[in-house]
Amino acid sequence: MGGEGWLFLFAVLMAAALLFTSVFFIIMFSDLECGEHYMNPIDLCNKLNQFVVPENLAHAFLCLLFLLSFQWTALLINAPLLAYNVNKVVITKTHTFDATEIFRTLPQHKKESFIRLGFYLLSFFYYLYRMIVALISESE
Amino acid sequence: MAEPNQLPPGWEAHWDQTHQRFLYVDRESGQQQWEHPLENQPQLAFAQERQAPVANTKRRQYAVDQAAAYSEPVAQYADSSYPPQNIQQPVTPGYPQTFTPGEPQQQSYYQEQQQQYPAQPAYGAGQLADQFSGLGIGGQKPLALHSVNLLTTPPNPLELLAPPPPIRLPPGASILDSPLANADPSYMRCTVGAIPKTAALRTKSKVPLALVLSPNRSLGATEPPVPVVTDTVIARCRRCRTFINPFVQFVDGGSRWKCCVCNMNNEVPQLFDWDSVNNVQADRWSRPELSNGVVEFIAPTEYMVRPPAPLTYVFLVDVSHSAVQSGMLAAACRTILENLDRIPNEEARTKIAIIGFDVALYFFTLLADATEPSMLVVSDVDDVFLPQPSDILVNLTEARAALEALLAKLPSFFAESQTIGSALGPALQAGFKLISNTGGKMVVLTASLPTLGVGALKAREDVKLLGTPKESTLLQAGDTFYKTFAIECSRATVSVDMFLFATTYQDVASLSCLPHYTSGSTFYYPGFNAARVEDVKTFVHEFGEFLASPVGLEVLTRIRASTGLHRSSFHGNFFLRSTDLLAMSALPQDHSYVIELEIEETINAPYVVFQCSNLYTTAFGERRIRVTTLALPTTSNISEIYASADQVAIAAYLANKAVERTLTHKLEDARDMVTKVVTDLLNAYKETVTSAGGQLAIAHNLQMLPLLALGLLKHVALRPSAQIPSDLRAYAHTLFTTLPVQRLIPYLHPTFYALHNMPPECGTIGEHGVILPPALPLSSEYLERHGLYLMEDGLTIFLWVGRDAVPQLMMDVFDLPAYDALRGGKYTLPLLENAFSQRVNAVIGKIREMRRGVYYPPLYVVKDDGEPSLRMWALSTLIQDRGDQTPSYQQWLGQLRDKIASTGY
Repeated sequence: MGGEGWLFLFAVLMAAALLFTSVFFIIMFSDLECGEHYMNPIDLCNKLNQFVVPENLAHAFLCLLFLLSFQWTALLINAPLLAYNVNKVVITKTHTFDATEIFRTLPQHKKESFIRLGFYLLSFFYYLYRMIVALISESE
Repeated sequence: MAEPNQLPPGWEAHWDQTHQRFLYVDRESGQQQWEHPLENQPQLAFAQERQAPVANTKRRQYAVDQAAAYSEPVAQYADSSYPPQNIQQPVTPGYPQTFTPGEPQQQSYYQEQQQQYPAQPAYGAGQLADQFSGLGIGGQKPLALHSVNLLTTPPNPLELLAPPPPIRLPPGASILDSPLANADPSYMRCTVGAIPKTAALRTKSKVPLALVLSPNRSLGATEPPVPVVTDTVIARCRRCRTFINPFVQFVDGGSRWKCCVCNMNNEVPQLFDWDSVNNVQADRWSRPELSNGVVEFIAPTEYMVRPPAPLTYVFLVDVSHSAVQSGMLAAACRTILENLDRIPNEEARTKIAIIGFDVALYFFTLLADATEPSMLVVSDVDDVFLPQPSDILVNLTEARAALEALLAKLPSFFAESQTIGSALGPALQAGFKLISNTGGKMVVLTASLPTLGVGALKAREDVKLLGTPKESTLLQAGDTFYKTFAIECSRATVSVDMFLFATTYQDVASLSCLPHYTSGSTFYYPGFNAARVEDVKTFVHEFGEFLASPVGLEVLTRIRASTGLHRSSFHGNFFLRSTDLLAMSALPQDHSYVIELEIEETINAPYVVFQCSNLYTTAFGERRIRVTTLALPTTSNISEIYASADQVAIAAYLANKAVERTLTHKLEDARDMVTKVVTDLLNAYKETVTSAGGQLAIAHNLQMLPLLALGLLKHVALRPSAQIPSDLRAYAHTLFTTLPVQRLIPYLHPTFYALHNMPPECGTIGEHGVILPPALPLSSEYLERHGLYLMEDGLTIFLWVGRDAVPQLMMDVFDLPAYDALRGGKYTLPLLENAFSQRVNAVIGKIREMRRGVYYPPLYVVKDDGEPSLRMWALSTLIQDRGDQTPSYQQWLGQLRDKIASTGY
């Protein structure tokens, strides 16, 4: 298996991990919303805030790998999300969840998590496809 | 009340406007009576039975009664000569002889009951005491919708004092038909008096849907206290946990009750009909929770996670140079000292600590036997610790002498202080350490911007930002400490109150975050100077009332609503802990909360119920639950929504929404939102109700809404201007979200009186206290050059003196020979030995005390040709005039009309 195969295998695993984080976020938000399992917004925000930066770092790392291996298509696909994340975490610093505002901003957060979920899902299949293509071309 | 259409021959029913009920007249004999003619004879016996319930020892024997009742309910009805309609009431057949919900035969009893209740707490001066007479009496007639043309109807300030449109509940909705079954509008009111059945109808009508509530409002001297259920028997729905209230139905012969919120059938608690004090059978129908919309339960131990905490005050007093120089320190110490007796302390449990701070923290040990306080200085503000574990927080009664000595001497300790800077953040942390295990109140009095340690703030106000879209960033918290610390406080049920005095930038926006999330209050005295008597008087009065007000602690508030109604957004001072659970560290008096509602699914019930429950610890260490219940009919008729809409509640909703919008978006967006709501409403009204061209029609009961919205747009909180300091804006925002409607409305729509020509009875004592002059429309065209006028918005009073005021007037009111001798600005009006001076003083006194809340508005004398800024400020209360960048009322209406015309309808 060559470099490209390994790269996309890694990307597939990464996308799967990111997928799980998004699902986790959505579940947590739903829990808070329905209020059945009494969920404290303070604890929730503290918990989720631990994951925000690692998630974004993981995505940025993936982009860096694509850049270094000249995978322009994959990089291009990821560029918008990267730009969005950089803006949120580095420039405006609005990435943390605020317990005082959480109920008001909950629909927004949920929507964002769903969009992320969809994006990671699509990119997962794309990486999988690229991995297979890479493997086939190697074996030929 | 009884329906008039089932009269015996020869009788007539006349609707009596003043008493809001039918007067029955026998045409032949000329006899007149309030009672329905059919209900005198057979009902009399039951009424008597009801009068003496204790004497009837057989009441407990439900089974026997029930069996009898079930076996022959029809016969029973047949015996009495009631018209057949009455049988179709949703009645439990087991109770025909004692009680049948909504049936007219109960009337004689309830008329008596009604007379027993003293006059209701009325909106405003109390002259509207009969506002309840139309409530809870069944919805025979739908509310009539009267349209008015705004273009030709001048606004009438009296409309704002009127009670909201009456609530027409379907007959039998309230179990006892008590006039108090629904909470008074001052406790809870809704923007509409009839809830739309579907979300589509709500959207079509464009009337915002929100509750405005003020559960812990103060009681006037003549108002009856909230009834208390003392036997700790609390019936709640098993599923939705709603408290039993006047709108439930008893089923299965009274052994079960049907929840009015979720329709669940619940067991009636065993001791519900038992008088545990005398160990005798009690009359179920005399239980206050079945007849009162506002009621208090004494909570049993299940409602406590720990013993009720004592009332604890930690005063954090700024002792830096600016605080000493402005006289704040001395005034604050004196006020606390003078009010030690008024701080709630019935059980001698109240605890107090005093901590001073500038660049260091000063703790005071208060030993019970020592009269000389000793001071401990902690200068390490980066890692705050308490210098001593005990004797800093002391019992008010035990350490009274030491406290008095300390408060008397504290100002002199720091009289020479030249220290500039404030370690407010560390002081807050120290206070928090002191009381975090019990909760309590931290009262901050500061005259400087925090500069040291955590929570240090920058003087971030940049005049270049004012009036630009970036202005709203100045209205948000400048440091995350004020949010994270507020959450910590909320968890430990510590409530923070802020008294702010800085002469320069204070960053009210950041500092008010703490009271905001911990249910405290913010008070701001810009440019406070103790050398001015008026400044001291205002502060001393407000701080004194604040200390004396009975406060609830460890509060949990839940808002419940019937199925189909979703509480989508909450405004006010609390921390939102779950979708309908508000964590409040304290339950301050006279705070108002706005709750937005959404219709999630079609409502089929004929009426819906809202319930607010506040579980709290009283100042005397009792755990109580205050339950406020409001039932509203539902409707599928759009005109009923308009006819029952409450303009005052809508204005309160708009004010709160505008503040939220400012913080999340921009001031511009907030203004646009207000304009859009009003435009949409007028537009929808035009589409659905009237179609006449060339006019701007609105329901009669909403005619002041456009002016209230204009008042909101012109308010210092929202007005477009590059000159309004962000501190003033931020303070106005905190007031918008906390003031009870009774005070919020004049804050948006000030009152304007002419004093020089007021009718002779004004200023004298009438039936409802001092008689106020008639309010004038808020336009400067009513200002005459020789007149004396008064404008007030509940927080400031302006006395406007025309430049041609006659010397006699000047002599009578100010004891000055001529207009030229008068000095403008804050003023204490002399009380002179002439009738006019006494009347003017009486009017001002009345204005200062007639509304709820601790505020004591200062009086400014404004000379017609005096200082321009003060003159402009006073004139800004006349909101119908054209402002700098804001339209006059007529122009505003024109803009609204054009907007509606341009949308092409």
